[in-house]
Amino acid sequence: MKVRTLVSQATRSLRRYPLRTILMMLGVVAGIASLTVLSSIGEATKRETMQRFKNMIGTFDTIIVRPGGGRSRGMPTLVNVPPTLRFEDASAIAMEPAIRAVAEMQTAFDIDSKYRDHTASPVVIGVSPNWLQLRSDEVQDGAFFTEDQNASLARVAVIGTDVRTALFPDEDPIGKTFRIADVPFQVIGLLTPRGAGPAGGSLDNLVLIPINSAARRLFNRDFLTMLIAQVKDPERSSEATEKVAALLRERHHIRPPALDDFTITNPAATMAQVTRASSTLTKILTGVALMALLIGGVVIMSLMSIAVSERRKEIGIRRSVGAARGDVIVQFMLEATLIASTGGMAGAVLGWGGMQLVTRIQKLPQILVWRPFVSAIFLSIIIGVVFGIYPAWKASRLDPIQALRS
Amino acid sequence: MIELKNISKTYPRGEAGTIEALKAISFQIVPGEFVAVRGTSGSGKSTLLNILGCLDQPSSGRYMLDGEDIAKYSDKQLAHIRNAKIGFIFQSFNLLPRTTAVENVEIPMVYRDGRVDRRWALTALERVGLAKRAHHFATELSGGEQQRVAIARALINTPALILADEPTGNLDPNAGREVMHLLEDLHHEGRTILLVTHDDAIAGYASREIVLRHGKILSDGSTAMHPSSSRVEGAL
Repeated sequence: MKVRTLVSQATRSLRRYPLRTILMMLGVVAGIASLTVLSSIGEATKRETMQRFKNMIGTFDTIIVRPGGGRSRGMPTLVNVPPTLRFEDASAIAMEPAIRAVAEMQTAFDIDSKYRDHTASPVVIGVSPNWLQLRSDEVQDGAFFTEDQNASLARVAVIGTDVRTALFPDEDPIGKTFRIADVPFQVIGLLTPRGAGPAGGSLDNLVLIPINSAARRLFNRDFLTMLIAQVKDPERSSEATEKVAALLRERHHIRPPALDDFTITNPAATMAQVTRASSTLTKILTGVALMALLIGGVVIMSLMSIAVSERRKEIGIRRSVGAARGDVIVQFMLEATLIASTGGMAGAVLGWGGMQLVTRIQKLPQILVWRPFVSAIFLSIIIGVVFGIYPAWKASRLDPIQALRS
Repeated sequence: MIELKNISKTYPRGEAGTIEALKAISFQIVPGEFVAVRGTSGSGKSTLLNILGCLDQPSSGRYMLDGEDIAKYSDKQLAHIRNAKIGFIFQSFNLLPRTTAVENVEIPMVYRDGRVDRRWALTALERVGLAKRAHHFATELSGGEQQRVAIARALINTPALILADEPTGNLDPNAGREVMHLLEDLHHEGRTILLVTHDDAIAGYASREIVLRHGKILSDGSTAMHPSSSRVEGAL
């Protein structure tokens, strides 16, 4: 038998009873629409979270050490951390076999900076010259400072785009000398913007200077606010974290039950946690939508079963003019599948519209996630087949003589 | 072309036991015959028709159609026989509701090879004089027109055997006459027709009459001794 004939017969049957057909579709439309919306939003949220996280941390093969135990909030700065993390600690960690490189940091907030009559209050961070590699930052103009410049306590600075806008609105900042807390520094480079951090604030309102220049010429502090260690094997960052912790405990003479005077965060592990949390949410939402879809399938099954009873005579007629049991099964399963897949497509379109609305309201990135669409169509076809089996079987078991008499 | 040998059909009936609708019926029909099976209700004529139409299987006995024993056929093969060799005409027309005349006529083609030939379906409707009403819904047609659509449907796959079950039972005399004339024409074209009726006059259109009573053949013979068809028409 020709597929086209079968499909056109099924379509005609469905058009004969438009209200019932639409009612049967509704459940699947709702199920697929919510499935599309929820899984797309879940996916978009996950991507957004990952992106913001990545903006802040840069790379995922690093671990971060801060002075002070327990939970501290916000960025550690020279005024809010204990002076326990030393330059010597950084050198010792750099010798640890699991660690490839270490970047030292001294961070201070809201440092008055001046160029002619322009002022700004950026975050000033003294960092090691290997910063670019460890944070995967980029210089869009000029250059980053070198090991030599760090060793010679050079007064050079690399600025973020926010600082450039505030201090050098109309001119090329490279080569210009400006003052950080009255100490003159020459701009040698401009960073590529990083965008928003996890809290939504700008990550570009900063000035980077060599760590040694910061410690000796600007801040006069001999402790670190943070250090970033790059691990050799990102797959084993948890192990490396343990080794660094053990090393610091030994250097700081900490024996349990005494608490650590430092905190190590492992971005890869944190990231995995965040991703896991958001994917759990996605899973729950998807589960709810799947339930709706399942209910849609049950609706098709029950309405179709009622339709079989109402269409007994039609079944009898078709049997008498040559339909075998198999033909009746095919007819009803095809009708169920057509209903479900049409409903599925309508639901996907509806869901796409809903997703556009939500991403606009929630300011999520405009992403077109194709997977939910494809799986929506597939799922609805499967729903149609599965929930069409029972009514189709019921229809095929009707005795044609009884059916004709009804 | 049809050979029935000792066909019996028993149905279970409650706890009491069984009811015997047909008791060892035997007869033959040769190609081109126009046979009426007449009997009162409960005589077993509907059961006989269902067995001849391959919608039901006899409890015992042998039904040979075109030299083939029906008993060994599967559901699918029986469906194929109903589709290709048999055309049904029912008392209550049995057209699909909310479906046009021509779409009704096309249904047997769906189950033949799936090739639905609209022009051939229209030709069949023309044959029964309904070309102009081809695109009307079945429910918009009069009883006589509906029955003629049913006849067109029965003819669409050019079956060898036409089974008519009280085809005029739901029609007024005029429409009934038209339908019977159509059947007569088909008979003259050489088709084999088996007509089931309780009506003496309708049976008179056939050339041979088998009378059933209580599941047994009471008489089987030519209708030549019956009065001429003018009296038959008068009865209608």
